[in-house]
Formats: sequence, structure tokens, C-alpha cells
Amino acid sequence: MNSPSPLILLIEDEPQVRRFLRPTLHAEGYRLVEAETAASGLQQARTRNPDLFLLDLGLPDGDGIDVTRTLRTWTAAPIIVLSARGQEVDKVQALDAGADDYLIKPFGVAELLARLRAALRRAARVSPEPGEPVLRFGDIRLDLARREVHRGDVPVRLTPHEYKLLSALARHAGTVVTYRQLMLEVWGPASVEHTHYLRVFMVQLRQKLEADPTRPRWFMTEAGVGYRLRDE
Amino acid sequence: MRMGDKLVAVSRITRILPRLGRVLIGQGAAAPREPSARGTPRRWAPLGAYVGALAQAVVTTVVAELLFSHVSHVERADIILLYILGVMVVAARCGRGPAIVSAVLSVAAFDLFYIPPYLTFAVSNSRYILTFTVMLIVGLVISALTEQIRVQAQEAQTSELRARSEELRSSLLSSVSHDLRTPLAAVTGAASTLLTQGDALPATTRRDLLQAIYEEATRLGRLVANLLDMTRLESGTLALRREWTPIEEPIGAVLGYLEAQLGARDLRVTIAGGLPLLLLDAVLVEQLLVNLIENAIKYGGGGPIEIRAELVGDDVILEVADHGPGIPSGSEDRIFEKFYRAAQGGASGGVGLGLAICRAVATAHGARIAAGHRPGGGAVFRVTFPRGDAPPPLPDEVAATVPESAT
Repeated sequence: MNSPSPLILLIEDEPQVRRFLRPTLHAEGYRLVEAETAASGLQQARTRNPDLFLLDLGLPDGDGIDVTRTLRTWTAAPIIVLSARGQEVDKVQALDAGADDYLIKPFGVAELLARLRAALRRAARVSPEPGEPVLRFGDIRLDLARREVHRGDVPVRLTPHEYKLLSALARHAGTVVTYRQLMLEVWGPASVEHTHYLRVFMVQLRQKLEADPTRPRWFMTEAGVGYRLRDE
Repeated sequence: MRMGDKLVAVSRITRILPRLGRVLIGQGAAAPREPSARGTPRRWAPLGAYVGALAQAVVTTVVAELLFSHVSHVERADIILLYILGVMVVAARCGRGPAIVSAVLSVAAFDLFYIPPYLTFAVSNSRYILTFTVMLIVGLVISALTEQIRVQAQEAQTSELRARSEELRSSLLSSVSHDLRTPLAAVTGAASTLLTQGDALPATTRRDLLQAIYEEATRLGRLVANLLDMTRLESGTLALRREWTPIEEPIGAVLGYLEAQLGARDLRVTIAGGLPLLLLDAVLVEQLLVNLIENAIKYGGGGPIEIRAELVGDDVILEVADHGPGIPSGSEDRIFEKFYRAAQGGASGGVGLGLAICRAVATAHGARIAAGHRPGGGAVFRVTFPRGDAPPPLPDEVAATVPESAT
């Protein structure tokens, strides 16, 4: 790989967290810039133009959700929110403001790295080419060009909305998608409040595509927030 | 990946950190406040008590009149006793104010009807002044005594409540501090060993110590999460976020979180087809399920774990059963109490809050939770969700394709 390793901007005021993230991210070959406040974070973001943001929600001089909104006015780089608050409302707000994913403190390094990779992969997928027409999740194969879904070799018949839901989740594979986002993408703005549609359709998708629908491996629930299609 | 998942499962609930203080202080401070408010002596009897005093005077007069005119040998002294009895009753039941009113009314009635000249307040004989005074004093004394007894009873109740909450608080503090210190000691010990002798230790030992640090920190996280959950549920500040949810969703999510803990454990999940949607706060119901399934893992003796959801009448029944030694007879209710621990449970960590949280979550949903014995051995925990209102309609497409049975 000739291109330089991805540059991560870590906006986090707690030194303990920076202290454990620094060696971890370096060891994985990422380049790292650090900022302790929202203001210096935004400043660094403009001058260094990082490939990914790790953003703490509770900064001393401002709300991470506002920082997310500001960043989204000019950059599409993935934002992963770190939060000790963990209230579902906060997560949903951050995601709806444009964050790509969130991690609740305390989080494990394995989890962090998995989210980082998923976010960077997705960013790379979106920008250069119009998207791979065939996506795979375990033995699930989704052919976006032909609108076909297979489990193993067996074609699976989905209803129109099941298909829309699957392709919406697949477009954001690896990251969590809020109920609101999914409702907008699948049913449109008129039905945004009817999130029980979503839950019932998820049950059906799991029954059609999961090996054991009672123990989903791919269609993951993020209680109170949304769903995530696992990506590895 | 596994480790990460586990941590996330644990940390999902650390959202409530700032309220930790309240669980520790709340038990002691909040409980006595209520009785002390009730303990304040009532200064003014309600209007009803005065009406009672009036009624007493009328009733006593009627009874006295009946006795006086129909029964021979009834004298004025007997009538006086009758009135004093009435005053005593009012004093004992209604308090000082009504007792004074009752005494005055009794005196007035006695004077009107039994002291010549009749039907006037004039008094012919000075000894009746003494009668009046006695009646008044009896009223005052009895009402004062009653008041005193009432205050004493309240004080006793207050101090009993205070003692109980003190006991609860000290049992909380001792179990919390023990359960916090044990993993902390392990973390500190292992970390300091690594710091001072790390280079001299073989790689496997270093790895063991690191694993211990990770596991104990995870346990601490779980403990804090449980304490916070309990606080959140008990403080009443928790607004439930209930949404129409298929019960298979929290079950599936929780089995995902617990994947590492479940390992190769024999797990049998049976979800009946066509269950109605339930209005659930998914985060809380997941916590309830995590606690029940962790319990089954811990106390199930390594045997199979059964999870079942079915419709019985109008209720959705959710059961978690294990094949372990079961619940000691007689403690089926007590295990849901805070800080209650089965005698053998000491080593497993936790402060005995898991099932208390389950009960709080069930209650918050209008559901019931009960523990029982599995036929053939083992414990069964059963949560009964009332079906409640009909869920909102679904688009036709769903109605057409919802499978009739699922596993």
C-alpha cells in the first residue's frame, strides 16, 4: 500500500483516554492528531483534514453534537463518537447530526478497531467508485445491480420493503443506522413515527436470512438507537 | 472482537454515572423524610371531627332523654356519667379541639334539659358548676393523653423505619464496598506486579495477569451498571421509552451480548409464532433478560438453559429456565429483594441487585415476575407481560407475509 496511513483526529479532553488510545492507534499504523477542546478540534480539523474523527461528546467548551454538525458542513470523513453518557437519546442525536458510529466508554480496543476499520472501509467505498454491485455478509449475498439476494446458493424472495431495508442497512454496513434514518430511507418522511414497521420487518429479514433467527449474527439490534448490519 | 462485545454489553448501561451518589445516600436520607412529615402532630382537627362532637352531644342527649323518661331510678348523676362517656369518646377519637367543643356542648345540653330551671342556661345549684368543670377537664385530659399516645406511636414508627433504612444502608455499603474492593484489589495487585516485575515474568504469567485485570475491570463495570440501573429505576426519574417491539428482538440482542459467556452452553430458544407486539423499553427489557440469563449461566450448574416465549390467554409469557439445583424452597419471593443473596452465591460477585432490577423493570412495564421450580429440577423465572392495547396496524405487505410460526 503506497498511500499514507489514515490520519485520525482524536478530540477528547480526558487524558486517561488519550493515553490508552495513543499507543493502540499507533500500533495499528494509524497517524494521530490530538485535540483537547471543541475549538482546537475544529481548528485542527481544518488545517489537517483528517480521514476520520474520534470525537468525545462531553467536551469542556462545547457539545460534541454541535461539533459533529459543524464538521458535517464541510467534510464527509467518518465521525465516531465516544461517549460516557451513553443515553440512547445522545447517541441518536449524534448519529442524526451526521456521526457515523458511536462507542460507549468503557470500550474494548478490539471493538474500537473494528469500528474504525468499518468506517474507513465505508468511506473508501463511497468516494471513488459508485459502489460494488455485490455485497457479502457471511453466506448472504446482495446483488444491488440485479436486485437479487441469495443465502448460500439459494435465492431468497424479499418483499419490496424488506429489500429496501436490507439495501439501506448494507449501504451503511458495519455502522449503526438510526430508526429515523431507516424509516426515511425505506418508508419515506410520512411514516417516520411508525418505527414498529421496522421492527416487524427486521424479524422477517432475520427469519429469511439468518441461520438462527433467534440468535442473529448479522442483523444486530442497537436497543433504543437502531440497527447495524455486521460487516466482517 | 469478543472482548469488545462483552465490554460494550457491560458499558451500555454506564449512562447513569452521575446518579451513583443517590443510591448510596438515598436509602438513608429519603426514607425517614416521609414519616417525619406524617409525624408532625395535627394542629387542627378536620371539620368532620367537630361535626362528630356536635353529633355526640345530640346522640348523648337523645339517649339520656330516653333513659331518663323510660327507665326508672335513672338519676342526674347517671346522666352526667353518660355525657362524660361521650366526651371521652370524642376526646379519644377526634383530638383536643373537638373534645372541648364536645364538653361545652354536653354541659350546655345537660344544663338545658336536666338542670332546673329547664330549657334555660340558668343554673340553680352551684354544685353543677363543678360538674361542668369536671366534664371539661375530662375532655382535655383524655384528648391530651390520646394525642400523646399517637405521637409516641408515630415516633416509634419513625425510628423503626429509620433503623430499617439504616440497616439497609449499612448492608448496601458493606456489600458494595466489599464487592468494589475485591475486583479493585485484584486490578491494583496485578497491575503493580506487571509494573515492578513485568520484565522478569514469563509471557504466560504476564498474559494471565492482564487477563485478570481485564476480567475484574469488567466485573466492576457490571457492578456499577447494576447499581446505576437500580438507582435509575428507583429514583422515579426514569422516563420509560416504550415502543411496539416483537419479543424476539430483545432476546436475540441479549443472546448476542452474552455470546462469550454462553460459550458452548446448550441453549434452547422457543418463540411461539404470531406473538403480539409489546410496548417495551427495549434497553430495560434487555437488561432484565441479561440478568435472568446470566443468573441461569451462573447457577444453572452447566446444564441446558431454556428460553421460551408464548401467548397464554391474553398474556405474553417469557420464561428463562435452567437445570441447576433450583431456588431454595421458601425464598422464591425473597430472591427479588435488594441485596438478597442465596447462601451459595457469595463467590459469584454482584451485590444481589440483578433480580431486584428484573422486578423493577417488570413492574415498570406493568408485568409480573415470579420464580419457581422447573419440573425435573432447576429454576424457572417467568415474566408475564399483559398484552395491553392492540398495537397499531401494520402495512398490508407485512400482514401478508408475517410467518405463522417461527423458531
